[in-house]
Amino acid sequence: MKQAVSVSLGSAAGDFVRELTLAGQTVRLTREGTDGDLERARKRIKELDGRVDALGLGGIDIALSVGGERFLIGDGMRLAEAAVKTPVVDGSGLKNTLERRVVRELAAAGKITPQSSILMVSALDRFGMADAFVELGCPCVFGDLIFNIGLDYPLTTLPDIQDLARKYRSRLLTVPFRQLYPTGAAQDMSAADPRYAKYYEAADVIAGDGHLILRHLPPSLPPGKGVVTNTTRPHSLARLADAGASWVATTTPEMDGLSGGTNLMEAALVAVIGLPLPEITPAVYDEWIDRLGWRGTLHALAE
Amino acid sequence: MATTEEFTDSLTSFAESCNENAKLMAMIKDWNRVMHIRATDFGADAGLVTQNGTVTALPDAPAAADLVLEADSEILTQIFYGELSPNDPYNAGTLRIQGPEDDIVRLDFIIAMLWE
Repeated sequence: MKQAVSVSLGSAAGDFVRELTLAGQTVRLTREGTDGDLERARKRIKELDGRVDALGLGGIDIALSVGGERFLIGDGMRLAEAAVKTPVVDGSGLKNTLERRVVRELAAAGKITPQSSILMVSALDRFGMADAFVELGCPCVFGDLIFNIGLDYPLTTLPDIQDLARKYRSRLLTVPFRQLYPTGAAQDMSAADPRYAKYYEAADVIAGDGHLILRHLPPSLPPGKGVVTNTTRPHSLARLADAGASWVATTTPEMDGLSGGTNLMEAALVAVIGLPLPEITPAVYDEWIDRLGWRGTLHALAE
Repeated sequence: MATTEEFTDSLTSFAESCNENAKLMAMIKDWNRVMHIRATDFGADAGLVTQNGTVTALPDAPAAADLVLEADSEILTQIFYGELSPNDPYNAGTLRIQGPEDDIVRLDFIIAMLWE
């Protein structure tokens, strides 16, 4: 049996083990949270190196792919370097392929139209999804400065995102990642800033990282909102339903009531594909996504 | 060690550069903070105030501050001239900051947007 393990900076309370059969191969998927402890995560990656088929990094990226440029994340890179035998992925391969496709599927299903206004809580880590919304012609608000830096300034174009990435490039190497993105128990804390409710209220579709979406989710939303995200659990779907969201589309396949992080699903895919990581191009991911029939899952929450 | 003039000039230059950058002013329009800047090597105190997107350098210590930054004058001067990310000396322990960590990220972000 193939083994894919996600070592996550998220809370260990979200750990799980699942088995999936992919193209006739059984893969054991394990998610191990380290409660935001980078050193613990590094040690665990080192322990698992050479003992499993692929590793995923959860709650952190190794690099951001923004408009064809790659921006390294210092903390993520150092974690990935703890493994020298087992390939380590951060989910960016699936974000750039599967998530684009899910947006197009939702458009084909009529859930998203060119008139749908989009709030993407952060686009730097999901440029593929942001690009897909822009391709559809949707007016977008990208909340990277709002939700990651805490400055109430919406970005609205992809060049804005590229410019931000270029100016912040050196900082991504040195800023402790926890200062930019909630890790450990902070991921599950609601820290809704009332200044940001206006962005949720104005959007038809709220998209992007599930932890960031939930962190600032207002207690109630006007009716009709859709959410496009992943890493959902029954309790996170319940929170979105309680707030009044109409539907949630998860971008990774459902496994007994939860959708795994892109890093874990990508690790599972890499384990099955069996090619060296540099040979797994976006075209290879696309080919395997087709072969496995992976697509988004739509949850109707309210009518 | 920086000179007193360099220390003061770095703060003035930082404030002027912020105020000449319309996009940055819009970004920080809600980030209203008073910063006390203390150069520990020659005991000089100064301040920076961000208010409604405008940044003002103060020649003396403010009466009360949201953030206190303490380091030797060379480090502070380098930070406000954009030659050094505050995160580097902060992580190394040579820049001490009293105040919310979130504000350190924001200050560093402003410096990156200005100088990078």
